Amino acid sequence: MTTATQSAGGPGTTTSAAPAVIEATHITRVFPMASGQVTAVADISLTIAPGDHLAIRGPSGCGKSTLLHMLGCVDTASSGTLLFNGRDVATLSDRDRSLLRLTQIGFVFQRFFLLPMLTAWENIELPQAESGVGKAERRERTRELLDYVGLGKRAGHRPSELSGGEMQRVAIARALANRPRLLLADEPTGELDRTTGDQIAALLDRVNADGTAMVLVTHDPSLADRCQRVLTMRDGRVESETTR
Amino acid sequence: MNAIPFAWRSLRRQPARAALGILGVAAVGALLFDMLLLSNGLVLSMRDMLDRAGFDLRVTATDALPGQGPRLPKGLATAQAIAALPTVQAAMALRFADATLEVPGRAPLESGFQGVGGAGIRPWTVLRGRELATAGDVLINENVARTLGVEPGATLRLRPTCAGNDSLPAQTVTVAGVAKLPFDTLTAATVIASMETMATACGGDDSGDADLIMVGSRPDAEGNAGSDAAARAIAAAVPELKVLTNEELVGRLERGGFSYFRQISTVLTTVTLSFAVLLITVLLTVSVNQRLGDIAALRALGFSRGRVVSDVLSESGLIVGIGGLLSLPLGWGLAQLLDVILKRIPGLPAEAHFFVFAGEAVALHIVLLAATAVAAALYPVWIVARLPIAATLRNEVVS
Ligand SMILES: Nc1ncnc2c1ncn2[C@@H]1O[C@H](COP(=O)(O)OP(=O)(O)OP(=O)(O)O)[C@@H](O)[C@H]1O
Ligand SMILES: [Mg+2]
Repeated sequence: MTTATQSAGGPGTTTSAAPAVIEATHITRVFPMASGQVTAVADISLTIAPGDHLAIRGPSGCGKSTLLHMLGCVDTASSGTLLFNGRDVATLSDRDRSLLRLTQIGFVFQRFFLLPMLTAWENIELPQAESGVGKAERRERTRELLDYVGLGKRAGHRPSELSGGEMQRVAIARALANRPRLLLADEPTGELDRTTGDQIAALLDRVNADGTAMVLVTHDPSLADRCQRVLTMRDGRVESETTR
Repeated sequence: MNAIPFAWRSLRRQPARAALGILGVAAVGALLFDMLLLSNGLVLSMRDMLDRAGFDLRVTATDALPGQGPRLPKGLATAQAIAALPTVQAAMALRFADATLEVPGRAPLESGFQGVGGAGIRPWTVLRGRELATAGDVLINENVARTLGVEPGATLRLRPTCAGNDSLPAQTVTVAGVAKLPFDTLTAATVIASMETMATACGGDDSGDADLIMVGSRPDAEGNAGSDAAARAIAAAVPELKVLTNEELVGRLERGGFSYFRQISTVLTTVTLSFAVLLITVLLTVSVNQRLGDIAALRALGFSRGRVVSDVLSESGLIVGIGGLLSLPLGWGLAQLLDVILKRIPGLPAEAHFFVFAGEAVALHIVLLAATAVAAALYPVWIVARLPIAATLRNEVVS
């Protein structure tokens, strides 16, 4: 089913018991270039509620990653407002925005970006240590996460000793380390073969089913089809949104 | 995992790069350390020699350096008068001349000839034989003993050149002992006699003129050096003479010829440090550029700007810290080697050293290396601090 391009709910409408994780209102991202401005994202409004499962798809260059980066607070909108947990992200200092990402947002990248000098265990422990989680709690959480992603026996392995699928599992565990409200993944299966990609997709389904809101950017229709909402973009705009 | 263990892991990940950095810093640091030791080494060494000689004041006729100005008339009597001051422990009058020493069957030896008078401390150490006792006694240094093949008890002929007069007759003198003098150069031939013996040799010129009076002050009640009190007392007793403390003498040397060492050392230190900064900057910049994706990912995961900056700083600190530690023994070893070479410069006291270990040099070394670590990290830190997270993540995938 296709709904209106712009979801309802402007700033300040989150009066329900569980406030929206994200409320983006008319956000636009313009890159000033020597050859003229590039509008990567144009006037998108979007609400992500707790537990949402959203896929963003669309042709290459339509602005999916740019939108995801704004949702993940690593990039700021040129105009429009973006509220995370009801707070206007644009008003936060760089430090507060870092803290927000550390504690509320998990990122999964196409290229994994695990730190090569650290073991799987240490990669997962790292964001917890950074957010000040105590040693004992960290150990318990890391063990739990490794088991959750099915790598309980690979704790001491470095990324170079893991397969692509295993690396992405570690990356997912790392993204979940601080129990974020929102997990963002840009082409999480982009570097993986079909079978491995399906396994990762299943793992992500489980993460969402366990309560974490999730936004995936993907070219892969089979991955998008697993999501409850699918946003299709074109030329920086939302072309359509379907909800299952 | 905080910044230091994290940086340590990053270094170990690329052992060749880390080793290159550490060895580079060790080599540069060794040179730096040597420059710091050299900048003040000779001065410290001179001060030490002056202190060890047991005299802390020098009395001369004018402001010229001892031995380079006009004579003190009636030096011996003045020395005795100074020695009688309550703040003074000992005063020794010293007169410099030259002599040709002759022993049958050996080539004549040109030698320095020092006449000493007054009681108390002696700056030399008798190695063999005995002190000067009777008229006609001389002490010789090791070079004279070796060159002429004479030992205590032997006699030799001494033909002095006193006040430019080189037609004086030769005297027969007895070698009382072989002594070690604090300011002898490696090759110096020196013979010492009492002022009376010298006066006799110099054709009965017994006026007791001296070039210099060396004074040892009496330590005060608390055992502190009494140089200043003694200097004041001497200045009051013989206002026409100049009194120079060891400190002032060292100060003059420092401002004079010795300042070249400081200037050379400053220039070379600057050049050396610039090399260290460049080396570490290049290594860190290459390393950071290779890891931009990882760094952007860490930032996306919530690592603050301060945290990624301190990772880079820690890495710089580790390279410079480990290299700097290695540089100390390396530099000290190199200093010993250079000292041996530099000490061959003619005219230097054999006891002088160019490189003298000093806590201040170590402290300055540490401060300069710490500054190097920070300076070297500036550019890579700047890269990391202004890294656009989204664009970097995107570039890493696109490229
Ligand atoms: N940092 C940037 N500077 C300049 N232009 C940019 C920048 N980031 C994105 N763009 C431009 O914005 C547009 C959208 O880029 P974006 O990466 O969001 O597309 P995408 O939908 O993720 O594409 P793909 O599927 O190929 O990853 C492109 O035209 C791109 O060139
Ligand atoms: Mg993209």
